[in-house]
Amino acid sequence: MSDLLVPAIATILDQQDETPDTRTYRLRFRDDAQAERFDFQPGQFLELSVFGAGEAPFCLASSPTRRGTIEVTVRRTGRVTDALAALGPGDEVGLRGPCGNGFDVTAAEGHDLVFVGGGIGLPPLRGLIWNVLDRREAFGNVTILYGARTPSLLVYKQELHEWGARADVEVRITVDRAEPGWTGTVGMVPVLFDQVDLKPQSSLAYVCGPPIMISFVIQDLLARGFAPERIISTLERMMQCGVGKCNHCCVGSKYLCRDGPVFNFREIREMWE
Amino acid sequence: MEVADCRTIARGDLNAWVTRLLGRAEVIAPVRGQGGDEVFASIAAPEEVLWSFRNPLLPPKHLLLPQTDTLAEFRRVDGHYQVQEPPPPRPKILLNARSCDAVGLAFLAEMHAQDLTDAAVLRRAEALTVVSLACHQPCPLGFCVCCDAGPFLEHDFDLQLTDLGDRFHAEPGTPKGQALLDLAPDLFQVADAAAAEQRFALEQQALASFGKETCHFGAAMRRISTRRVAEDLWEKMSPWCLECGGCNHACPTCYCFSVADRTENGCTTRCRMWDSCQYAEFTLEASGHNPRPKRADRMKRRFYHKVSAQYFQRDGRVGCVGCGRCVQVCMGTTDMPAVVGAIRRGNWVSGRPA
Ligand SMILES: Cc1cc2nc3c(=O)[nH]c(=O)nc-3n(C[C@H](O)[C@H](O)[C@H](O)COP(=O)(O)OP(=O)(O)OC[C@H]3O[C@@H](n4cnc5c(N)ncnc54)[C@H](O)[C@@H]3O)c2cc1C
Ligand code: SF4
Ligand code: FES
Repeated sequence: MSDLLVPAIATILDQQDETPDTRTYRLRFRDDAQAERFDFQPGQFLELSVFGAGEAPFCLASSPTRRGTIEVTVRRTGRVTDALAALGPGDEVGLRGPCGNGFDVTAAEGHDLVFVGGGIGLPPLRGLIWNVLDRREAFGNVTILYGARTPSLLVYKQELHEWGARADVEVRITVDRAEPGWTGTVGMVPVLFDQVDLKPQSSLAYVCGPPIMISFVIQDLLARGFAPERIISTLERMMQCGVGKCNHCCVGSKYLCRDGPVFNFREIREMWE
Repeated sequence: MEVADCRTIARGDLNAWVTRLLGRAEVIAPVRGQGGDEVFASIAAPEEVLWSFRNPLLPPKHLLLPQTDTLAEFRRVDGHYQVQEPPPPRPKILLNARSCDAVGLAFLAEMHAQDLTDAAVLRRAEALTVVSLACHQPCPLGFCVCCDAGPFLEHDFDLQLTDLGDRFHAEPGTPKGQALLDLAPDLFQVADAAAAEQRFALEQQALASFGKETCHFGAAMRRISTRRVAEDLWEKMSPWCLECGGCNHACPTCYCFSVADRTENGCTTRCRMWDSCQYAEFTLEASGHNPRPKRADRMKRRFYHKVSAQYFQRDGRVGCVGCGRCVQVCMGTTDMPAVVGAIRRGNWVSGRPA
């Protein structure tokens, strides 16, 4: 039996700065067999170790349809993330996972999909988006709505451009505050709802971002006729183990690291403690 | 327990038996500590074992969950990390655990077996043989009878002993317990009818002497599970908690932990360490947001985890074995029976007569 809390070694292959404090890392398990075997659902997360600094949870930001390497997008906020920022290509980290439930991609087949991301909330959606685009024919309309505080805080700029250029994807972007050179929409994410044809009856809405943004977006979607079951989001809590043992992530008797982090809004509404 | 498997051993032969146990494994038992208190410790000689004692203030849960538990060591050699896991646990025998503590250990093993298996903890549980000593009378602060955790047990022990005076009754609950009898067939006799009767009578007597000092979980569970505990009841109780975490650390069933790295001489050791849901930082997120900012929120969490029907359904047990340790350690009197009583009555009467 392998031990739940012991990480495997992975190597940083390369890295890409997204914003002044956010960076995407491409990783590969040092053991080739493990690298090829590693499978997951978008929406699941990893426990990433920087040896000596500790461990922290990060969403799998890549798609399981692209085997061999894994991507995480990390914002610097403290001990582990600072230590990670000091590492670079060739350096080794530890990985445990995949943890959590992930998005149910199969259940989404045949539906129109609306992705609503805010700020650093795009990484979990990115894996799902690539998964969907890699099997584009299995899904209906695909709409990506994304907002950040300022243009320089938008992550995955290159991919947003790439997705926007596709005829089979609709991409709309907004920022709370413009900067010189920004000619796009200004306003909070819900302003984008009026720019697209939301189909509440046939769509699934995936909402990820800061808690405040999530709650505004969900209220707006409900008002526009989305059933609570059709609004899917991710919840965050402080996590230590990621495997349902340490009890840090509980909301009532739900373990966000095992029962979540993905829940639909009906489930979220029913949680209490 | 099959009656036919039960044995008796003369009091005078106990030390000879313990000597054989020592030849087989590390033996941990209640002993008189250097400060005069009863504590669980490894013994070197059978004379150290206490056969009549007040249950130690700290439970033997460290045998499954050491307070600081090494998960792995990471060493960087030529630019590459090597992961070294701790060696497998050595066999241990816990002798004279009280019934409540035997149940606490079973609870902990179950929590680490359910859903994802925590093999490191289960290996320790597998290597540990629990010999429980049934209780003739309730301990002063105990309410195990309310938790299905004593005074006598029907499960959750490997071998259950009962002190019959000049001899001890021994009933094996598992093959591991049976193995301890098999070590000394010359010292154990098949239990006769008189021994079985005496054991049964002692159990009845123990049960009868609990009186009214019980903890009404049923009523509290109904209220907690259906959100019928007034919010201001938690607010009223919470100033009495000092946020020391003593209740959690002294509790045989609490198992929350945090993980941290320590680096010395180029070697990073990753440990899990006991944590407490009563600490403000337990749920503090990197963003600075804390979903349980108030002490009342955290107290509510503690009792929800221990006595809600939702958790009972998930875990199959209440998270309490009635040992009374939280009553003993809590300087604020927000212990299990006091809070359960407050929930049942719907009001908080602060303080307990000393
Ligand atoms: C399921 C899940 C998925 C997640 N996915 C992602 C993801 O994809 N990307 C991502 O970026 N994050 C993600 N997070 C959040 C991420 O896990 C946290 O940002 C991370 O745990 C922070 O760890 P840390 O050790 O760097 O911060 P900590 O050291 O724990 O920092 C905690 C707090 O302490 C403060 N602090 C730290 N050091 C200092 C100091 N020296 N002085 C003063 N204050 C200090 C910080 O400001 C912060 O508020 C996710 C979280 C969860 C639960
Ligand atoms: S309830 Fe009592 S023992 Fe527990 S943390 Fe509060 S003061 Fe300490
Ligand atoms: S993070 Fe440890 S139980 Fe969920």
